[in-house]
Amino acid sequence: MEEVKNNSGQNLGIAALITAILTFVLAVIPCVGLIAIIPGIIAIVLGAVGLSQASRNDSPQGVPLAGLIIGIIAVMISFSQIFVAGRIARRADKWPQKIENIVNGVQENVVKDIQDANVSIKVESNGDTVTIITSDKKNKEQTLENLEKGNRSANDSVKVKK
Amino acid sequence: MTLLKLKNSIRQSRFRNEPYLVINIILAGVIILIMAYSGIFSPQKDNYPVVCIHEKITGEPCVSCGLSHSFSLILRGKVNEAYKWNRYGMRVFLFFGGQLFLRIIFSFLYLKYPSTRKQLILFDIVGSSLLFVFTFLPFLIYIFKFS
Repeated sequence: MEEVKNNSGQNLGIAALITAILTFVLAVIPCVGLIAIIPGIIAIVLGAVGLSQASRNDSPQGVPLAGLIIGIIAVMISFSQIFVAGRIARRADKWPQKIENIVNGVQENVVKDIQDANVSIKVESNGDTVTIITSDKKNKEQTLENLEKGNRSANDSVKVKK
Repeated sequence: MTLLKLKNSIRQSRFRNEPYLVINIILAGVIILIMAYSGIFSPQKDNYPVVCIHEKITGEPCVSCGLSHSFSLILRGKVNEAYKWNRYGMRVFLFFGGQLFLRIIFSFLYLKYPSTRKQLILFDIVGSSLLFVFTFLPFLIYIFKFS
């Protein structure tokens, strides 16, 4: 007489194991790792239901148990991708600040160079010529002091010619 | 007619009692679908429906970016170009190809040698796990480096 096997929960177990294996493969691929949480949860539910059915009817529990365990590990790996993405995104968030700092530094240097430089701007319009001469900072301070003392011989840096 | 139905039902019930075979057949089907996906979508048109979520979130390409392109190019015989898209593409493709082959071979051996089924399943689990770890090791390192 042939022994009759009770396969209650076996189909759910098979479904759980297949879903869990696929989830596991998806979970380790960073591009689609986050999506793997959904089939992972499905695998865990299928595995748990299959396991409970199998234990209730004293049928083999290996397949649903394997599905459940692989599903849990796959979900954990998939869940860890959130932290991976978060950490990279946090690191990426600092880049605009770093770029801004570099740009600010360059801007400050340029402004300082311009302030220290001797710049002469000549504007001509209808025969009138205006020349603006900026000297370096020390000279400016000296000029300012001279002007404060009432020394008119100081270069006030604006010449108007007609 | 009834005899044929009976035969079919016996075959089906036998099949149902062999979860290993069912799993092998479904996994082989999934691998064939992956190959079909790589074959249908062309790298020239760049019409892949699956986009990298990781890149969308972080703005940085991840270690598995370009895998679909790589698979498609390998299927079209452009291995050098595939290597440029993703350096691990060939390794992962060989894993899937190997698994397809193993599913067929192991199913055949399972049916042919019923006395060694347990050993066969154990060998399959250990072998496939090792192959999996070896293939996806760069991806695993990438994940655990950041998490």
